[in-house]
Amino acid sequence: MFEIFQFQFMQNALIAGLLISTMAAIMGSFIVLRRFSMISDTLAHVALVGVAVGLLMGQNPLWGAVIVSILVSWIIEFLRFYKGLYSDSIMAIFLSGSLAIAVILVSLADSFNSSLFAYLFGDILAVSKEDIITMFIVFVVMIAIVIRFYQQLFFVAFDEEVAQTSGINVKWLNILQMTLVAMVVALSIKIVGSLLIGAMMVIPVVAAMQFKRGFLLTMLVAIAISITSLVLGLIASYLFAIPSGAAIVVVALLFFVISLFFDKA
Amino acid sequence: MPIDFKAPAVKVENLSYKIGSETIIKSMSFQILEGDYTAIIGPNGGGKSTLMRLLLGLNKKTTGSIELFGTKINKFDRWKEIGYVPQNVLQIDHKFPATVFEVVLMGRASRNHSWKSYSQEDKKMARRSLEKIDMYHLKDRLIGSLSGGQRQRVMIARALAGQPKLLILDEPNTGVDVASQQNFYALLKELNEEEKLTIIFITHDFGVIADDIKNVICINQELLACNTPKELLSCSAMSDLYGVDAHLIHHHH
Repeated sequence: MFEIFQFQFMQNALIAGLLISTMAAIMGSFIVLRRFSMISDTLAHVALVGVAVGLLMGQNPLWGAVIVSILVSWIIEFLRFYKGLYSDSIMAIFLSGSLAIAVILVSLADSFNSSLFAYLFGDILAVSKEDIITMFIVFVVMIAIVIRFYQQLFFVAFDEEVAQTSGINVKWLNILQMTLVAMVVALSIKIVGSLLIGAMMVIPVVAAMQFKRGFLLTMLVAIAISITSLVLGLIASYLFAIPSGAAIVVVALLFFVISLFFDKA
Repeated sequence: MPIDFKAPAVKVENLSYKIGSETIIKSMSFQILEGDYTAIIGPNGGGKSTLMRLLLGLNKKTTGSIELFGTKINKFDRWKEIGYVPQNVLQIDHKFPATVFEVVLMGRASRNHSWKSYSQEDKKMARRSLEKIDMYHLKDRLIGSLSGGQRQRVMIARALAGQPKLLILDEPNTGVDVASQQNFYALLKELNEEEKLTIIFITHDFGVIADDIKNVICINQELLACNTPKELLSCSAMSDLYGVDAHLIHHHH
């Protein structure tokens, strides 16, 4: 079964997938606990605008996705923190709004419809060496930041207000966290697709939470579930010729269903 | 015993706070000295939550001044010296993935500025805080699996792990059973007397003003004149607010 990973494109997909699934589970652990699960879906749609812009301008769509997602993540945090708008309404607005903009951009030059399809549902054939290098750089930066600010990020996820009173710069930390989420989401759309990345950030974490362990252990279990879903999903994608993103998410979903049986509460 | 000079931990002068055109706090002035055990009491809607948020630096834009340990609040940066025990302990989801020990370690988070995870010192302080509240044996339990009273104690342990000089508790006994409340008052008394911790206790419940509490600050938008638990009994402003049946509870047996 594993001989499929002899192919160069499968190796690329596997390496990229391992980086992405690890990052998605780590950032997912924080955002799920902050009741902010929808942010990944929202930013994934926002990233599509970046992809469309990148395709239109003939640049690497991945960078377009990263830049636009980061900018919008800051705007969302600004609207939430300073303007006091409800997070779920802000996310709903950006989710459909950015999809509308992306569709308009695509229709302006309809030559890359097939290419956009790959960004919606993920396409393992689409992962290049250059993409892997980009992902690896972001991976290293993200891991370093999370290790450095682990305690503060966890405190804010648990109780934002008490964290603030203890002298933690919550505002700054939230912007940093949103930036990381935006980068992970934008990079993920090659593998999982923008319509499905939300699931990859949320499902493994919620499944891991059913085992009722501490935060660090829950995060590690989420990473394990995420990576296993990725590997099994990639194999299924190759064997049955189905879109990789959908296959990965369905495997994660199975883990979630199984995890429910471990919750004896 | 030598008489030592007590510096003010909190000094509030002419403090006013408005939301829109509505006055929440009106020209209030008081001091809380280091080592004091003070209750801030007042009816719901009387401005005590706002006052607490102002003291914690969560709300800003006031007129008048607040000083913490001799520093104006807008210049104050030693927030780790202030332990805050919030009200909402019952809202913690029973599946929230955080062990008791992980929660108590949060109290060290703002002290830690290194690449290392928690140091031996951090873990030692977290352990000592949990031992102080007799809950070290529950350190691996999920916070959400504990009772209201136990959660309350964990939140105090978290505040203590940060080695604060001032502990601020917001309505600490909401939803906690009577036996736990007794333990809780004994713990606060011990912290105040043995560790010389300054304690501010915010409540709307007249009945929880224990006789361990040395000072009472009654507020209903403005400061009402009743400064000790005894005076509280004869304070007409308070009996107007709470009715004549209000009486103090005693915890000495």
